[in-house]
Amino acid sequence: MLNYFFPLVCLLLFTFVPAIEARVYLDINAPSFVQIPVVLPKWKGVNKTPADLPVKVYEILANDLTLSGFFKVIDYPRFPASLKEKEGIPTNHSLQEWTSAGGEILLAGETSLESGGQNLVLKFHLFDLVEQKHIIGKQYEGHPQALRKMAHRMADEVVLQLTGERGVHNTKFAYVAFAGGNKEIFIADFDGANVKQITQNRSINLSPVWSPDGKKIAFTSYLRRNPDLYLIDTDGQNLQRLTSYPGLNVSPSWSPDGKKIALMMGLEGKSEIFLIDASGGNPKKLTTGHGNEASPTWAPDGKKIAFVSDRSGSPQIYIMGADGSDVRRLTFEGTYNSNPSWSPKGERIAFCGRVQGHFDIFTIGIDGLGLQRLTSNSGSNESPCWSPDGRYIAFSSNRLGSSKVFIMNANGFNQRPLTSGKGGESSPAWSRPFE
Amino acid sequence: MGKKSLVVLVLVLCLGLVLTGCPKKTVVKEEPSVRKAEEPAVAEREKAAKAEAEKVTKEARERELAKIREEEAKKTKEKEFERSLVAKKEPGIEGEVLESKLLKDIHFDFDKYDIRPGDAEILKENAALLMKYPKVKIQIEGHCDERGTNEYNLALGERRANAAKKYLISLGLTADRVSTISYGEERPFDAGHNEEAWGKNRRDHFVVLAK
Repeated sequence: MLNYFFPLVCLLLFTFVPAIEARVYLDINAPSFVQIPVVLPKWKGVNKTPADLPVKVYEILANDLTLSGFFKVIDYPRFPASLKEKEGIPTNHSLQEWTSAGGEILLAGETSLESGGQNLVLKFHLFDLVEQKHIIGKQYEGHPQALRKMAHRMADEVVLQLTGERGVHNTKFAYVAFAGGNKEIFIADFDGANVKQITQNRSINLSPVWSPDGKKIAFTSYLRRNPDLYLIDTDGQNLQRLTSYPGLNVSPSWSPDGKKIALMMGLEGKSEIFLIDASGGNPKKLTTGHGNEASPTWAPDGKKIAFVSDRSGSPQIYIMGADGSDVRRLTFEGTYNSNPSWSPKGERIAFCGRVQGHFDIFTIGIDGLGLQRLTSNSGSNESPCWSPDGRYIAFSSNRLGSSKVFIMNANGFNQRPLTSGKGGESSPAWSRPFE
Repeated sequence: MGKKSLVVLVLVLCLGLVLTGCPKKTVVKEEPSVRKAEEPAVAEREKAAKAEAEKVTKEARERELAKIREEEAKKTKEKEFERSLVAKKEPGIEGEVLESKLLKDIHFDFDKYDIRPGDAEILKENAALLMKYPKVKIQIEGHCDERGTNEYNLALGERRANAAKKYLISLGLTADRVSTISYGEERPFDAGHNEEAWGKNRRDHFVVLAK
């Protein structure tokens, strides 16, 4: 049996000049920020590396840095003629000539394929062109099939060095998309590559979520003529029915410790928020009253759950303890607020609110203050979901016609579609990083 | 004898003929008038009796016919319901299910799940039909229009299906015959994006579960 999990990359740290103090290049938590212009010379292939390898690495890296929203990438076709064909890593002495490229930061590197094609080595260096100094250098090694993973890891490192927090380029999305006329579950990389169809049952498949360890996806399917909760491995194997209580078993949300799942259950004739064990048993009702309860989402500390309730007459966001106690209403503006997602940083909740017949994405402090609207005049936008570092929000939008999964920075900046597919995508769920 | 005696003889014979002939005519003439006096009464009675007999036969026959028609109609209706059942093909959803135009959909106002008076009448008709077939089990599908979020719409559909179930049970159907399922906005009747389509999609739909 082939081992599909490639040998872990190993790191070698190269620092020529240690940084004296960590300079904050970009405060990404500010409501708006100016992107850092980053110059990216052509990557060099050494030791007879096939020409396509450095090109591929370059493409993934440039794309990742652009997708992050923090950088304005200046790639080599846009260099002045004297710099266009320069490859590989400049020396400290030659940094001077790069100031004419229009960037504040320079990222350069080389690839080498060794051990009879079994070992790919990626080496990069980061320079501050304003202060004319080296920031950091790192090297990654692994099987050539781990090329994308290694390139993403480099991008994560660059984001860490320049923004103070690591990037999320090695994360994945689960989402719903139409295949053969039916809603099926899909997975894709952060940059939209490696799209994989996980279910093929031609049924109705809804609301996928990742287990905290990233190994399984929970979702609802109508396979057996009831919206039941299922588990499946991320490679599409080992389908397992988790619950099949009569009525709804939908909209699962895993507790941060992976031991419980909150979900909507219609067992008692109307939808309530229930807790079940991660194994599917021991149902415990959390909500009470006459309303319709929906869309639970856990706080990162596992102590609270936000959800939707129409007990006041219209769907609004509420917060309660993980045992159902201390129910408190969070949203008071708008007539229809739904699909809450609790930021992994803990202090804000994203949701979609209806405005003049369509939905927009909002975030609000957990104290009910600081309401921010992140989308407007861009079709209808639903199902927000935070990245594991709390710096991005994925959501679905029909601004391009058919519904697609979009990603934006948490301040609403840099909204872009995840995949280049036809559309019919919805309900995104963001995984933890896969290292 | 002379000529004179011959003539007299002939005359006498003629007279005799005449005399013997007339009385017969007179008798014939006399009988009809007697019968005429008697006939009306008899004829009337005969006529009445005949009419009566005919009437009785006619009524019996009509009753007979009505009975036959009723039974025919019943069989036709049964056959009509049976004949109206069409298999619903859903490859990705387990279970054999049949649909009938005789089981009518009910509809709902936007964001609501209460049964409106007109729809209650439809439910009464559906119930009446189903009471005739005590072995038939149905599933009530609760549906929503596309506005609103998918998950909240699943909750709304659940309410719509259960509202109809509750009403049908109050009309006499037993709970074990009626199951519910919410499809939220996932299975619209009309794929349009306008008020008309949305109105058609806010519905409960009734299907028959094959054994």
